[in-house]
Amino acid sequence: MPPASPDFSSSVKLKYVKLGYQYVVDHFLTLLLVPVMVGILIEVVRLGPQEIVNLWNSLHFDLIQILCSSFFIIFIATVYFMSKPRCIYLVDYACYKPPVTCRVPFATFMEHSRLILSNNPKSVEFQMRILERSGLGEETCLPPAIHYIPPKPTMEAARGEAEVVIFSAMDSLFKKTGLKPKDIDILIVNCSLFSPTPSLSAMVINKYKLRSNIKSFNLSGMGCSAGLISIDLARDLLQVHPNSNAVVVSTEIITPNYYQGNERAMLLPNCLFRMGGAAILLSNRRSERRRAKYRLVHVVRTHKGADDKAYRCVFEEEDKEGKVGISLSKDLMAIAGEALKSNITTIGPLVLPGSEQLLFLLTLIGRKVFNPKWKPYIPDFKLAFEHFCIHAGGRAVIDELQKNLQLSAEHVEASRMTLHRFGNTSSSSLWYEMSYLEAKGRMKKGDRIWQIAFGSGFKCNSAVWKCNRTIKKPTDGPWEDCIHRYPVHIPEVVKL
Amino acid sequence: MVSGSLECPVRGEMLSSVVPAKATGGNKDLELTSMDLAMKLHYIKGAYFFQPEAAQGLSIHDLKEPMFQCLELYYAASGRIRRSESGRPFIKCNDGGVRIVEAQCDKSVDEWLAMARNNDHMLAHDQVLGPDLGFSPLVFVQFTRFKCGGVSVGLSWAHVLGDAFSASNFLNLWGQIMAGKQVPLQPNSPAHNISQFPISISRKPFSLKKVDPVGDYWLTPNNSKMVTHSFRITAKQLHYYITTYCIHDPNKISDFEIILAMIWQSLSKAREDSGPNIVTICSNNSADKMAMLPSNGMTLSTVEADFCVSKVEIGELAKLIAEKRMDENGLIGELIKGDEVRSDFIVYGANLTFVNLEGMNVYGIEMKGLKPVCVNYMMNGVGEEGTVVVLPSNEKDGGNNGKMVTITLPQHLLLKLNNRLQIDWNIVI
Repeated sequence: MPPASPDFSSSVKLKYVKLGYQYVVDHFLTLLLVPVMVGILIEVVRLGPQEIVNLWNSLHFDLIQILCSSFFIIFIATVYFMSKPRCIYLVDYACYKPPVTCRVPFATFMEHSRLILSNNPKSVEFQMRILERSGLGEETCLPPAIHYIPPKPTMEAARGEAEVVIFSAMDSLFKKTGLKPKDIDILIVNCSLFSPTPSLSAMVINKYKLRSNIKSFNLSGMGCSAGLISIDLARDLLQVHPNSNAVVVSTEIITPNYYQGNERAMLLPNCLFRMGGAAILLSNRRSERRRAKYRLVHVVRTHKGADDKAYRCVFEEEDKEGKVGISLSKDLMAIAGEALKSNITTIGPLVLPGSEQLLFLLTLIGRKVFNPKWKPYIPDFKLAFEHFCIHAGGRAVIDELQKNLQLSAEHVEASRMTLHRFGNTSSSSLWYEMSYLEAKGRMKKGDRIWQIAFGSGFKCNSAVWKCNRTIKKPTDGPWEDCIHRYPVHIPEVVKL
Repeated sequence: MVSGSLECPVRGEMLSSVVPAKATGGNKDLELTSMDLAMKLHYIKGAYFFQPEAAQGLSIHDLKEPMFQCLELYYAASGRIRRSESGRPFIKCNDGGVRIVEAQCDKSVDEWLAMARNNDHMLAHDQVLGPDLGFSPLVFVQFTRFKCGGVSVGLSWAHVLGDAFSASNFLNLWGQIMAGKQVPLQPNSPAHNISQFPISISRKPFSLKKVDPVGDYWLTPNNSKMVTHSFRITAKQLHYYITTYCIHDPNKISDFEIILAMIWQSLSKAREDSGPNIVTICSNNSADKMAMLPSNGMTLSTVEADFCVSKVEIGELAKLIAEKRMDENGLIGELIKGDEVRSDFIVYGANLTFVNLEGMNVYGIEMKGLKPVCVNYMMNGVGEEGTVVVLPSNEKDGGNNGKMVTITLPQHLLLKLNNRLQIDWNIVI
């Protein structure tokens, strides 16, 4: 919001002034260069062709001088190209679509809760209220083990779920990209709450018989933002290893983590977390330049763990009865807001156009020097990005971000609809959202996308992608059979 | 959960839910007719036995998966009871789903079928709607694995949802989807006949009995312990009885009617008061085998004997049954409306009730191309006068017009009746 009052900014005159200002500042260099170029041209024309030839002849060119200059130019060029970071392309990605046999309608979820928590009607009431306001739809999915009354979370069932989710996503990725298993050079799997031995990455290597010199990594415990951490890791590795393919698998395994107690702060994840997973193929090969969907521009990671409150706000612990669950503290939204501010402060200068940065700088100086009472200028990120993918952590998260970044309903539509159709699938939700935008045919070449994820710790991670080629509908993916029904209106409270 | 023992051979129950494959959406509501409300305190149990060859290699997932598609078409079975503002119950099709029970049995299928058939009810979950009425499943399906590898499919079906024909249709639909057959989508038939007969006399129906309010716990209140027993009558035996005893019009008496007469007379002889003098007959002549919506489409009628049932010729009794039936559907419709929708009634067991399931396609279901080796149906939540269910049987000894008869009576009476049936009619119990 500019420091002026709302009445002013809605007036037409000021709008044009603002547009003009943005144009001038954003294209400052061009506007500066044009008069200089014109000046030189006029001077050249004025001198006349004969004078130019004389000028040329007067520069005594020597063989040595020519050779040295050429070497110098070639040397500078080589240093430039060598030190330029490699372009990281996202060739394609695949999201896991759970089968209908895993579907959990509201009525069934509530009924199971009532039976499992039959000794605690207050907890049942609480869960019902959360579910009514959660923003989830009737088609979200839970793994088979959780459909039992009471749930049967054995390790075998957890591995079963991991296999189904990860292998389906990978098979889908292989089919879409034509990738051969032996061509995978780097494998990164992230799953926060299920970490067996051998790791899930070893499970993937075993299933697809990947190469013995593969560089594999398994990230666990890093929460819902681990997907972007994996992308960051893949990017760094792809800088070091030329001509390589990296596969990133993001998922969250629900089976072992369904809370079976009745502590209210720990019941919330049961209502929101659902089955999901995604497999992403990244590459730094120049041959992928043509068919890659996106190019990775920036990854910005912010960690607030140094603050005790932030560290404890999403905490896995035992309740009074010894049952393990994830406890969410009441200041979660406030801490998320703080983490977001930190992240924005870092990413702002990288992505915002010059006009916004200048305004922000001027307001900052003004607040420090002249009058601290000036409202802080929140840069308009809609100028920097065409699409926003906000992690579908819950309705509150999306609402909060929409308010803080002043986004319209259409900007957060991908996030809300993903929450409705798939629930909170943790680190893979960003990919379902991208898939939604593609399925809607909104992804055009040159579009910039901002993925934001929050996670335990407390972390706020962002990734900026640029669309490499226009993606035409119809697309195959998890939205294939239901995209025509979306967007749906999600009522504030659903009557059960 | 009960441990395996001689008395309770079925154990290890695990419950889960199965829901429609696609969201039913639009919050479809199904209205309950007077007939539905009359039957609300009763429950149907069905048991389908499959030999090991039919169940080999089928995991619980293979059995559950077709149920999702089945419920997508037959979404009413996934609904739950709600009450409207006037207090009248209706079914909200909210995808609550069907409860699946997985159990084990220490016997083999053949052993089970060979022993005295008192325990078939254990193969279907004991179901009661309530006390949490809005969250009680209308249908339970129990898959029991036998020691030999055979499987029984036990259906528990709330009668308020539909009659036994609807229940059997539902399972047949599941079987068809499991076999991979294309299911033609039939337009749903409109809610069924209340009565085609004009109401000439206005009186209370005999087939219905009003009971004390049960609130939200829909089960027939009973003083005695009710037990069930099943036996077969071969086609040859039935032919013999009809030709021997109904000398006058052997062609006019159906199998069902002769069985009815035989049991009525034997029970009359077994009881001290020589009753009952009135029986209720429940039959369904117009069952639509392909309907995707369940309904209580039966016709309830009563037969009253003004003579002593135990002393008369069986042929006379059969003739009375065939000729003097009085249809009561209209009277029931008249009774259950307005304020009476909130009252509680019983039909089965208000009088000795005979349920005619002869026309039911129970052997229409297949698992891996094989039909069940035996199918049984019985009624639960039955009043003290008792209930007799007659359904087709598939004997292995040739003729397939035999009948399976399941009797539910208070414990002390059933023993006496069994003895009488053996003495009077040479029926092997």
